[in-house]
Amino acid sequence: MRFSALKRDERAGYEGHIVPASSLLEVAKALRDEDGFDLLSSVTAVDYLTDNEEEESFFEVVYHLYKSTGGGAEVLRVQVPRENPVVPSLVELYPGADFQEREAWDLMGIKFEGHPDLRRILMWEGFAGHPLRKDWKEVYFEEEAKPFGNRWPGGQVYRVEDQNPYGKNNQYPDGFDPESWVETEDPLLYENLEKAAREYTEDIDTEQVVVNLGPQHPSTHGVFRMAVRLDGETIVALKPVMGYLHRNHEKIGERNTYIMNMPFTDRLDYLASMSNNFGYALAVEKLMGDKVAPPERAEYLRVIMAELTRISNHLWAIGFLLNDLGAFFTPALYAIEERELILDIFEATAGSRMMCNYFRFGGVARDLPAGILPRMKDLVNERLPRKIDELDLYLSENELVRSRGEGVGIITPEDAIAFSATGPVLRASGVPYDIRRADPYSIYDRFKFDVAVRYHGDVYDRYMIRVDEMRQSLRILKQALKDLPEGEILTGHNPYQVRVPAGEAYGRVEGPKGELGYYIVSNGKPSPWRYHVRAPSFINLTILEKMCVGQKVADVVVNLGSIDIVLGEVDR
Amino acid sequence: MQIETALLIEWVVKSTILIFALLTGFAYTTFYERRLLALIQVRIGPNRTGPFGFLQPAADGLKLIFKEELIPANAYKFVFILAPILTVIPALIIMAVVPWGGAIELFGRQIALGLTDINVAILYLLSVASISVYGIVLAGWSSDNKYAMMGGLRSSAQMLSYELSLGLAFVVPILLAGSMSLNQIIEAQRGVWFIFYQPIAALVFYIAMLAEVNRAPFDMPEAEQELTAGYHTEYSGMKFSLFFMGEYMKMIAVSAIFATLFLGGYRGPFVDTYPLLGPLYLFLKVFLSLGLMIWIRATLPRLRYDRLMAFGWKILLPLSILNVFVTAVIIVVFGL
Amino acid sequence: MTPIQLVFLFVAFATLWAAFMVVTRNNLVHAALFLVIALFGVAVLFVMLEAGFLAVIQVLVYIGAIAILMIFAVMLTRGDVDDIPDITNRYAGWVGLVAVLFFSSLVILMAQWPSFTALAKPILSSRDTIVELGTALVSPNGYVIPFEVASVMLLAALIGALVVARPRKGK
Repeated sequence: MRFSALKRDERAGYEGHIVPASSLLEVAKALRDEDGFDLLSSVTAVDYLTDNEEEESFFEVVYHLYKSTGGGAEVLRVQVPRENPVVPSLVELYPGADFQEREAWDLMGIKFEGHPDLRRILMWEGFAGHPLRKDWKEVYFEEEAKPFGNRWPGGQVYRVEDQNPYGKNNQYPDGFDPESWVETEDPLLYENLEKAAREYTEDIDTEQVVVNLGPQHPSTHGVFRMAVRLDGETIVALKPVMGYLHRNHEKIGERNTYIMNMPFTDRLDYLASMSNNFGYALAVEKLMGDKVAPPERAEYLRVIMAELTRISNHLWAIGFLLNDLGAFFTPALYAIEERELILDIFEATAGSRMMCNYFRFGGVARDLPAGILPRMKDLVNERLPRKIDELDLYLSENELVRSRGEGVGIITPEDAIAFSATGPVLRASGVPYDIRRADPYSIYDRFKFDVAVRYHGDVYDRYMIRVDEMRQSLRILKQALKDLPEGEILTGHNPYQVRVPAGEAYGRVEGPKGELGYYIVSNGKPSPWRYHVRAPSFINLTILEKMCVGQKVADVVVNLGSIDIVLGEVDR
Repeated sequence: MQIETALLIEWVVKSTILIFALLTGFAYTTFYERRLLALIQVRIGPNRTGPFGFLQPAADGLKLIFKEELIPANAYKFVFILAPILTVIPALIIMAVVPWGGAIELFGRQIALGLTDINVAILYLLSVASISVYGIVLAGWSSDNKYAMMGGLRSSAQMLSYELSLGLAFVVPILLAGSMSLNQIIEAQRGVWFIFYQPIAALVFYIAMLAEVNRAPFDMPEAEQELTAGYHTEYSGMKFSLFFMGEYMKMIAVSAIFATLFLGGYRGPFVDTYPLLGPLYLFLKVFLSLGLMIWIRATLPRLRYDRLMAFGWKILLPLSILNVFVTAVIIVVFGL
Repeated sequence: MTPIQLVFLFVAFATLWAAFMVVTRNNLVHAALFLVIALFGVAVLFVMLEAGFLAVIQVLVYIGAIAILMIFAVMLTRGDVDDIPDITNRYAGWVGLVAVLFFSSLVILMAQWPSFTALAKPILSSRDTIVELGTALVSPNGYVIPFEVASVMLLAALIGALVVARPRKGK
């Protein structure tokens, strides 16, 4: 590396470089402009708190940078003292860092200097402290890690809060009164909204209206809120507000043992649980090394399940995008009919339609039951191609779909990359970036398929790209089902607990919604020290404001629908 | 004076029948819509209440009556209560000029099937249609809710714009029949229905009437995806159902008007010999027109608001003006 | 008194009452709604004069278009919706006096005009009133010139509205 400031990270099991906070901007700029690391995939922070007197406690902010042309990661780390954790913000260079830095501030308490809008993002205003810090204890705290001890020792029931020094541990920030707090009076949010609106001027002096779309709103796909400033029907400024479904997935994940997190990942993007499993399994397998390399059949089953998930997810996305366009449920229900058939296969194989919990470290949990393979082949070779063609035929050329979708919510390729958009959102803008090709994992390098790309970056292209991707997934499925070998499905036995060596790993897959990454730090204990999810739905929302400003109210809903979010993953 | 009393009784009876038919029609249009939508959308639809679910509307009505009625604290109470009433009244009275059949002999009296036959029937239809926007505007404004306000504004702008095309589409049957009385317009279609002479006018009329009753793809005011429920967001219980009553009765009414203007009204085979067939034929035509509306709702996405206005002003209006002009010229030149 | 006369008296009083309420309400929305009632009363009076065409046009144009525009204007100018505490100003007395003088002199003048007290000739029932009206509006012996002048004026107003509302370029 050219920079003297850069220091190779020499801890065992770690990769990348350590950068002093003062030269982070300079290094990141050089990496972006000279080396082509233009896609900031993940920003997160780790609390290296230690009881050991000789070692120092510190926060580490971890950046994963990729090239949008493909290849491996450049990992940057900034270590800052726990007392005053200040890191320069990367929002100027990578606008996609916006929400992720806010998340790191919210959950870990890292101050990002120069961030234009550093507010809490997932937690509410009445939340005390930063929950992912290792010295933070939740309300009714029990123990640091699962499995928890017996609550009925000797047949005696006791209350946790009576037993430990923290008590109920219910706290509020200073000067906060939960009784008098009114959510809609969020001065910071509206101040920011006004700041964004000030740049917008009209020659006729009109009164702008602030409308809160959500959290209870039929087309925000869940409890999601968009605070919008309107001039007539035109959007002047928009701020997404989220976290209503927040359950601190990562904190719970750090209390869980490794294997306990597998069913827990199902609950992230509950429409694509198989992909969630896939990413997590890859990350942990990376840490555990070759001893858990999955057998051949398991790899094929993983790919088959992931691609079926992609199809079912895209069917859902297309159906509900049409709903957002105002089609009264007919396309959605036709799409869901096909999705149900895919869920039948999941149910037969994994035992559950949506919360599949199917992957294990080193393979998958169950083999295909007898008789399901012909059904899968029939579905993949006969029914789904026909039905996808049917959807395409009836929807794609529809005058209203075209007029509502074309030219609406345009994202330029530069913006898409800068805002860290991934998945169909990125590819619809003309950037052929698909992790299955750009940084292949599992056995994707064996299959023939094309990376679907569309070039206009509007809502219509984001719809079309999903149709294209379903066709490509079918291509992969056809090959995988044809070549599916016999054999083991799991290396070793199905363990109750796994031993994970110390180190870190970032495992990522091309989920149906974008790049789904898991950043895991292990210190050799049964639970992960840090468990971070790079949620594509969440990060793809960063660009929402830019897409919507200047358009009509009706377009906001469509733009949101075309990003395809699931609140379980956004809020975590 | 004897005859006056009989006439009065006749009017009262006919009005009662008409209102009763509209109310039943409203209830069963909701049922029809739910079942047909379900059929189109690979679902089953309500089939549990009574045979084939026929009692579903009664169950819905009962439920709505017992619902708690909420009035928002900051709502403009008087107008808030007035608005649903103003929505239903035009829907009820608009059918007064539409004939349901020829004349029948009953109790030694010639009784025309139809409430009244006035020479400005078409203008009456237009004026009633134009006041039906009041309910929506006032509901949207009095609710003290931004969604409702936007819904109210959108719908009134939309209805005012499409009323022009609607009015021009009305002109064509007037030109063809040479009268504004609906009975004479029906008579003029004794041979060929006007929809065959004037497919463009019929199309314009159908589109404009969809917009007028706020049906998909013009259901802008209640655009669920953007405005939650539009102008009736804050309404609950019976007040809410009054809006639906208004909407569905207007659907029936405009379907009947469409049938009268372009599909020969109550006319059909043997209707001259058996005048009681008249209402049946009208019912059949209304039924088909409602089915088409539901089909359209199940199929098409919604237009965006600005495109909708552009469509109304830049396409529909010039088209209907041109159509009226051409029709008038042809009638004058060929002396039809 | 015949029932018709009773109805006339009722409608006429309702119309006048509503008109009075329009100018005395201190709430603009109420005033606008009373205006609708007054206009509707006039429409009913037209019906009683067997002028069905004028009646429906009254409803269509005044209630369906003009009054709704007024309500629109009231609704869109926020802040004016609350009750206005005082609807009179210091000229109220003078204006009232002028109005009364003007109205009474009109009544006196019209009472001297012979056609005011004479009964109108009944329209020949053999011909449709609408046909009569239509012919009168476009026949050269009838009212074609006022009709055309009015339509030109409306066109000018339309164009004027377009010019006013058009977004100005380059600003």
